[in-house]
Amino acid sequence: MSGVTRREFLGYCARLAAIMGLAPTMTPDVVAAVEALAASQPRVLWLQGLSCSGCSVSLLNSAPTNVAEVITRYISLKFHSTLSATTGEACGDIVKKMIDTGGFFLVVEGSLPKGMREACKMSGAFMNDTVAAAAHSAAAIVTVGTCASFGGIPAAANNPTGAIGVPAFLKGLGETKPIVSLPGCPCHPDWLVGTLVAIIRSGLGKLDLDEQGRPKMFYGHTIHEQCPRFADYERERFAKKFGEEGCLFQLGCQGPRTYADCTTRQWNGGTNTCIKAGAPCISCASPMFARNEKMPFYTYRQDFNADITAQRKGEKE
Amino acid sequence: MNITLDPLTRIEGHLSIKVDVDNNKVVKAECAGEMFRGFELLLRGRHPMDAHMITQRICGVCPIDHGMASTSAQEAAFRVSPPTNGRLLRNLIQGANYVHSHIVHFYQLSALDFIDVTAIIGYTGKDDALLLLQDWVKSQLQSEKIFPAAPFLPRYEGTYAADAELNVMALKHYLDAMTMRRQAHEAAAMFSGKIPHSTSLMPGGVTELARANTLAAYRSIAERLRAFVVGVYMPDVIAVAKAFPQYFTYGRGPDTYLSYGGFPENDARTEFLLPSGVVRKGALEVFDASHIGEEVKHSLFNSKSGLHPSRGETLPEPGKSDAYSWLKAPRYDGQPMEVGPLARFMVALLKTPKSPTVVLGQDILSQLKLGPEVLNSVLGRHLVRALECKAVVERMLDWVDQTTPGELTFKEFELPQEGEGMGLTEAARGALGHWISVKKGVIDNYQCVVPTTWNASPRDDHDVAGPIEQALVGTPIADPKNPVEAARVVRSFDPCLACAIH
Repeated sequence: MSGVTRREFLGYCARLAAIMGLAPTMTPDVVAAVEALAASQPRVLWLQGLSCSGCSVSLLNSAPTNVAEVITRYISLKFHSTLSATTGEACGDIVKKMIDTGGFFLVVEGSLPKGMREACKMSGAFMNDTVAAAAHSAAAIVTVGTCASFGGIPAAANNPTGAIGVPAFLKGLGETKPIVSLPGCPCHPDWLVGTLVAIIRSGLGKLDLDEQGRPKMFYGHTIHEQCPRFADYERERFAKKFGEEGCLFQLGCQGPRTYADCTTRQWNGGTNTCIKAGAPCISCASPMFARNEKMPFYTYRQDFNADITAQRKGEKE
Repeated sequence: MNITLDPLTRIEGHLSIKVDVDNNKVVKAECAGEMFRGFELLLRGRHPMDAHMITQRICGVCPIDHGMASTSAQEAAFRVSPPTNGRLLRNLIQGANYVHSHIVHFYQLSALDFIDVTAIIGYTGKDDALLLLQDWVKSQLQSEKIFPAAPFLPRYEGTYAADAELNVMALKHYLDAMTMRRQAHEAAAMFSGKIPHSTSLMPGGVTELARANTLAAYRSIAERLRAFVVGVYMPDVIAVAKAFPQYFTYGRGPDTYLSYGGFPENDARTEFLLPSGVVRKGALEVFDASHIGEEVKHSLFNSKSGLHPSRGETLPEPGKSDAYSWLKAPRYDGQPMEVGPLARFMVALLKTPKSPTVVLGQDILSQLKLGPEVLNSVLGRHLVRALECKAVVERMLDWVDQTTPGELTFKEFELPQEGEGMGLTEAARGALGHWISVKKGVIDNYQCVVPTTWNASPRDDHDVAGPIEQALVGTPIADPKNPVEAARVVRSFDPCLACAIH
């Protein structure tokens, strides 16, 4: 392939292996998968429901991979509302033709307004119907972000649209196809890129998922277990105000109930992560993120009691 | 003849545009926002400090701006202000996100309306990235694949740039811009924890500390961003302006402008890098927040119309007759107002005419043999957005120098049981306000009036069209099957629909 030397390509695959948590010795395996990806260029249809586009922006922040390269060499991104040159009627034609042809990867960003279908429309159609039809003919379904996976903030208490995550929505329609869920607000770009490569590498069936459809390689441990301030927790050195050293548990940190690897992976190309920046984990990757209005993100200036402790540890909702 | 552009892609969110075309000119336009989540309703009853985490999720492109408006509104209610370092770190976070947003808007969202992506086929140079792109476009076009070269094709056919060198250079910069905007986000994350959706923003300041080595790392990225903005982004905008001069006459908005003031330069937050003000009939006025009201006659809400946001209501009625958009129609003194980089430049033109940005803008216009009257246009918006990007990225370097390593970034406060607050900022896309009311320790009411709510608003109670609707009228449409001219007008406003409706 012109432009990229074999050496550069191998370096790229080694970085991909690293973001998937694989040993460097597995790099040849990843090379084979990426070559298969480049040869087949799986078609991807990206639909947005009740979304903020934050997961799309996060994908653009992918550091070891270059997004322009991903969409020109490894996947064939047929439609994405924020990136597609296509405007207007032709977008509806692409989506329809994809659904008619089948065999594509469906990526959904955002939840769906099950109780108010008028709350999300594209090309004159209700997004609820478009996602249902696309899911029916897709080869694989990936929900990117907490909204698509579990409902997220649009599904928080008192929401007016009856918002719901895509797996729950599809289950209600009797759709039984397996769904890979990549929660996080936003989804970390490594989680998406790594999952796509893993599916190509060993097939969707071989992906090790938990009962919520999350790949265990990214969501197998809690934030708390991998926390840079874990030693402070053990020594009961608790921060009482923001900007202070110490464990953030008594400021409201929900690391113990949140399954994700962002404390070790870090965000924005390894630049920083919430707890390192002195910010309590708000559990943005968990099914209950922001859902319960009686459970505030922060406990600043609150008397920290046994009840709150149980909540923050996920022992009680 | 009616034409519908649905979806209007390469913006944030779900927007549908309907235009009536007569004699190849737009005579009437309607902007419809198509996605509603109800943030203002789901904030009720929550702890007030949830607000800046929830409202950042209104938008993944400009979460920081919502975080700023929300922490400011809470600070007004809690009677606290960030210490100097807290203010400066916030400016650094918001500034880096501005640079990301403006670069994305020109290259990823707008450039494909002007640049001919197929010009890459004739490329004869040696740039690796361009050769790779060329290979891919060629093989796609020769293949039997459905929709080859997606997402870059198909597109509206029309007149794209004819200059092969300009096209190829701009495509190279499209790819480079992806890297630059990513680095802008990496700079922001140094102090924001992560981005999109920062966790370090907090009423009272930020949770991250001001460390000397982090400030140095930020500065080094900011220098690179400045080089890109000055050496690449600005010249590209000027090259597009020279190739499409007629776009200095298309897309004329209502000529009324509003800016709340952005990037506080003092701890009292009374002086701003981007000045506050209102411009009507070519005259500068002092901004007065009591003049804001949100009208809903043609919006899918049955709330009372014309309410000030401090007492605002959000009651959805999806089937409402004679309504066509999920956006409310904010009005200032009953008038539609354009917000965003053009509004900020128009305010600066009258308020700070000697500022470097205004002087440079005048210089560029005189080189093009034009005057400031052409700025109310598609190209005017692109040009002043680039100028603003330069001003912000240059000022970021000063804010780094003003930050004192080791000094506090957060100030403690008491949480009152009752309180009210207004938080105003300038988002990348324009004037952004949040209003909070706290009763019995929880949020009693919360309202957001967002830049695109102003710009993409539907008709108001007096059936007066919103700024984008007005700007579309008069746009020539050469081929009704390919209304690329209308798309260029809409995109010049950089609409964000998830923001606008929330």
